[in-house]
Amino acid sequence: MPSGALLFQSVVLGLLLGGLYALLAAGLTLYFGIMRVVMIAHSAFLILAAYLAWWWHERLGLDPLLSMVVTVPLFFAAGVLLQRMLLARLRPATLTMMSVLLTFAVAVLIEGLLGYAFTGTQRRIQLDYGSAGFGLFGARIAVVKLIAFGLAGIALAGLYLVLKRTRFGWALRATIQHPDAARLVGIDTERIAGYGFGIGLATAAVGGTALALDTTIYPSLHWHWIGPLMAIIVVGGLGSVPGAAAAAMLLGLLQSLLQIPMGTTWAQTVFYLALFATLAFRPQGFFGGRLAQRF
Amino acid sequence: MPTTVRRMRWATALGAAAILALGACSGDDEPATGDDPIVVGVSLPLTGDFSEPGKGVQQGYEAWAKIVNDAGGLLGRRVELKILDDQSNADRVVADYEQLIGKDQVDLVVGPFSTRLVVPAARVAEEYDMLFVEPAGAAKEVFEQGFKNLFYAAPAVANDHYNHLAAHILALPAAQRPKTVAVAAMDDPFAQGTAYGLRDKLKAGGLSIVVDEVYPPNTTDFGSIAAKIAASRADVLIGGSQYQDGVNLIVALQQLDYQPKLAAFSTAPTNPEFAKAVGNKTEGILSPTGYSQDAPYPSNTEFVAKYTAQFGTPPEEDQANAYTTGQVVAAAVTAVGCAEQGDCQRKLVDWIRGNEVQTVVGPLTWDATGKPRGAHMIQQWIGGDIRIVLPAAAKEAEFRYPKPAW
Repeated sequence: MPSGALLFQSVVLGLLLGGLYALLAAGLTLYFGIMRVVMIAHSAFLILAAYLAWWWHERLGLDPLLSMVVTVPLFFAAGVLLQRMLLARLRPATLTMMSVLLTFAVAVLIEGLLGYAFTGTQRRIQLDYGSAGFGLFGARIAVVKLIAFGLAGIALAGLYLVLKRTRFGWALRATIQHPDAARLVGIDTERIAGYGFGIGLATAAVGGTALALDTTIYPSLHWHWIGPLMAIIVVGGLGSVPGAAAAAMLLGLLQSLLQIPMGTTWAQTVFYLALFATLAFRPQGFFGGRLAQRF
Repeated sequence: MPTTVRRMRWATALGAAAILALGACSGDDEPATGDDPIVVGVSLPLTGDFSEPGKGVQQGYEAWAKIVNDAGGLLGRRVELKILDDQSNADRVVADYEQLIGKDQVDLVVGPFSTRLVVPAARVAEEYDMLFVEPAGAAKEVFEQGFKNLFYAAPAVANDHYNHLAAHILALPAAQRPKTVAVAAMDDPFAQGTAYGLRDKLKAGGLSIVVDEVYPPNTTDFGSIAAKIAASRADVLIGGSQYQDGVNLIVALQQLDYQPKLAAFSTAPTNPEFAKAVGNKTEGILSPTGYSQDAPYPSNTEFVAKYTAQFGTPPEEDQANAYTTGQVVAAAVTAVGCAEQGDCQRKLVDWIRGNEVQTVVGPLTWDATGKPRGAHMIQQWIGGDIRIVLPAAAKEAEFRYPKPAW
């Protein structure tokens, strides 16, 4: 039986990890909600942002967090362009399936370019506060993990406010709920979808920066992330941002706790077990979202 | 028609001139006297998966040939390398060695890089009864094939890397000796081999293993493993790491403020970028090393100086292992007094089996399977620099235990 201190430490680590998962999954579920696009390249963009943060720190000597001043607008623009130039050209009848192929190609392209530009060597941002931490009721919290969690929280809260409180957010949600009806009330769904895609990719910029603070990055790392993220958005209900966030917290926590008895290798399977269970018993997801039924 | 004939005549003349010129050139830079050169055949992964270490091994062999030739060659004959590229492909490596031995009739062969290529290559050498000294086949499978002509030219196989450290810990007085051990190793034969060698020896010596974790090679988040290790408060920490995983685990442990009395990691701490990667919090970290530019063996000083003059950078472990291979072969050839296919090869094998060879990684001897009988040197980070602390014969600084806080 693990000690209480270890359990509490694992819960803390699990929540911190879950927060990061939540942010990383938010964008992914948004794309699916807006246009039924399965965006395999989301995690590749994540790693791209992480590399840009690393490069920013390495070359310019500035704090990697500041790189978001550049990467967030850049990724937003890239998202709009990606949607308007590529994804919008796919035939609606086969959109979901073809988007897998198209974004798969984009992912491979990004991976190849990263390898070309930065080589396959593993990189890690070396921060002065990289190994700093503080105690909290017997558990230790690393400063970098807390920053990453804070970033995730701020980005998710921002996303929530945009979706719920702005006219653009209403239009975006209308587009998610019923594109035809949205067009009938005068929403330019094409343009809204482009912006929605941009926002999704902008979350990847924030998530990638958060990721780069405390882990190693290498060009093919995105394959390691896309599986768990896909599992999270299915469990959370495809298209539902709060659902994805809840599922992410839950699975992050479970993964962290399961590592105590099962070890690192087997604890990873929690994502896929949750995925199977969801598809078998509740395909629409556990946290809202009705889109999966139409999938 | 006449034009064609004239052209051909010109071509022949040009060709002949070129051959003469080449012959003249090669004659000039032949300091070693004597008859035919000794041709040493080797197949290396110069392209493909292992091209990076493959090129390192090539440089090591080239440095060896140059240093030997500058000193007058072997048995008064020039040493000439014949290097083929096996593209990191195990089928290709077999064909290469068959060509080198059968068709090209080389006098000696030496090994390629990586266990995956060493085993098939050694099989060919065995069939042709050729001596086979190799620079890179540390996995235990290499020594389980029943090879009779194979020798691994390095101090130790993975399991024996920490032997000096294990002996030192177990020799401490009971009151000082650590009691608990935490192990975390990457799911990789080499990384596990080193860590488990030390773990098993400490366990046999009466220490208890309180954490024993394995993580997949793609692990990037070490928070949970670190939490387990920190909660165990183990005295000794053993990390079966390569590079980045070791860095990540150390940072994660430092975030949790875990302070072991002894921390040993394979490979990672000897990387030139290690100190910067863990924010210079390296104090007291241990690592086994097969080769050190600072090791005080006489031939090493010469090797480092001449290698640096030839290539502009000091040699690393791959280069040193290839050079060691050359030294072992050269010692046998000099002692036995022959270098050609046939009976000579048996004499070379017998000589190496029965003798100790002085190399850049120290004196080497082998058991019947060709496994080296040594152990790696142990280095420790002391005051921002990594120094040899064990064995006593090669030490640059005193071994510090318990280690200072990192």
